[in-house]
Amino acid sequence: MQTYFDSAYIWGALPQLLSFLHVTFMVAGLSVLFGTILGFILAVMKLGTSKASIKIANGYTTILRCTPSIVLLFLVYYGLPAIASGTDLNHLDTSIYVVITFSLQFGAIMSEVMRTAYEAIDRGQYEAAVSVGLSPAQAFRRIVLPQASVVALPNFGNSLLELMKEGSLAYTIGLVDIMGKASLIISNNYNSHSLEIYLALSLIYWVLSILIEQFFSKLEKIFSKGKLVIKTT
Amino acid sequence: MSVGLDVPFLVKTFFVALSGVPIALLITIVSLLIALPLGFLLALSRINRIPVISQLARVYVSFVRGTPVIVQIFIIFTSVPLLLAPIFEKYHVKTSIYDINPIWYAFIVFSLNTTAILIEVFRSAISTVSKGQLEAAYSVGLNNVQAFRRILIPQILVVALPNICTATVNLIKATSLGYALSLREITLKAQVAANVGYNFIEAYIDIFLVYLILCSLVETLFKLYEKRLRKYKAAAA
Repeated sequence: MQTYFDSAYIWGALPQLLSFLHVTFMVAGLSVLFGTILGFILAVMKLGTSKASIKIANGYTTILRCTPSIVLLFLVYYGLPAIASGTDLNHLDTSIYVVITFSLQFGAIMSEVMRTAYEAIDRGQYEAAVSVGLSPAQAFRRIVLPQASVVALPNFGNSLLELMKEGSLAYTIGLVDIMGKASLIISNNYNSHSLEIYLALSLIYWVLSILIEQFFSKLEKIFSKGKLVIKTT
Repeated sequence: MSVGLDVPFLVKTFFVALSGVPIALLITIVSLLIALPLGFLLALSRINRIPVISQLARVYVSFVRGTPVIVQIFIIFTSVPLLLAPIFEKYHVKTSIYDINPIWYAFIVFSLNTTAILIEVFRSAISTVSKGQLEAAYSVGLNNVQAFRRILIPQILVVALPNICTATVNLIKATSLGYALSLREITLKAQVAANVGYNFIEAYIDIFLVYLILCSLVETLFKLYEKRLRKYKAAAA
């Protein structure tokens, strides 16, 4: 480790790191997609009447919330080939393990987000919809779901940010996203100037999360405007 | 990879992982002790719009919340020696910078990280307590410190407690990243034990169980404490 600081390395590293941004986005995007589906299933289980399914869904959420991402990542990475011992998983891309891990985790978080959002909507909304002749499915899709989505939006945005940040841990199992690229650059430099590279990396994450935050607060503003109109008329 | 789990190893490593719990808890407690007052004061400065400090706190929170913990760890781990080296040289401190126990870095990283999270937690909690409470406290003759200690803080704490609980659990989970500082806590200890025979699945199951027990315990403790604090809320309502 050298004892001097050269900011030129920060600007030098930025384009190299940015060229791997699509990997970060792809992993985060797929995890959000599958995680949301899983979260929806879990939320339905939690809101259902069957005691067993409520217990299972709550237990799943508690366990996943108590597990550090890195532990879950390694459990999936080492555990999946062990469970599927009959098939050969050696050629499987590392990003698949990462997506599985973060989908499992995101599902647990989303199930809570969706459950609280659903419960925040007044029961009378559903009853009113059914009383004017909508079927239960229609009432859910046209009346409850749009309102619940607005309630869930800020939490969804926060969870998305968390997911993107936790996704940086994927470098530990060898995925080359922006974090993985950063550690590659550092080992190419024989561990010198690592501070500059990490600063460049943190800059990218910072800008990304500010952008995502702005995007979600804009969305929230647009949708809650509609909500007010519905309330007043 | 062998089929089935190596059960004796599983049991043995469980205790190895368990022996890392004190370090993880030590980091958590020290970080919380630093972050709780600091977060509270900075939250107050944000609410009262104290110039400079308020803006700095805002940028600070945005940075910590916008970057992964692992990157923060690496930044502190690489920048602190750079910053300390001239100071050590100037005052002729004999100890080498690279011999510092990594736990000090962990204290720095996790207190800085938790402070930022708690600033936001306290900020939203303080804003839920109505201003009338403070004014009423003043009007019966309490001074600023008394008003905060006896009237406001109990109420703020009730609101903030669930979020503090989440922050604590997240902090405990984040200590698993101490491996990057070669800190001998739960994760690293079990990993080292697994390296001998490549029993990684067993080791990770153990780590998983230890964190599960630890975090469930912490959550239960917070729930109990919350119940005790509820009485303030009942009085307020």
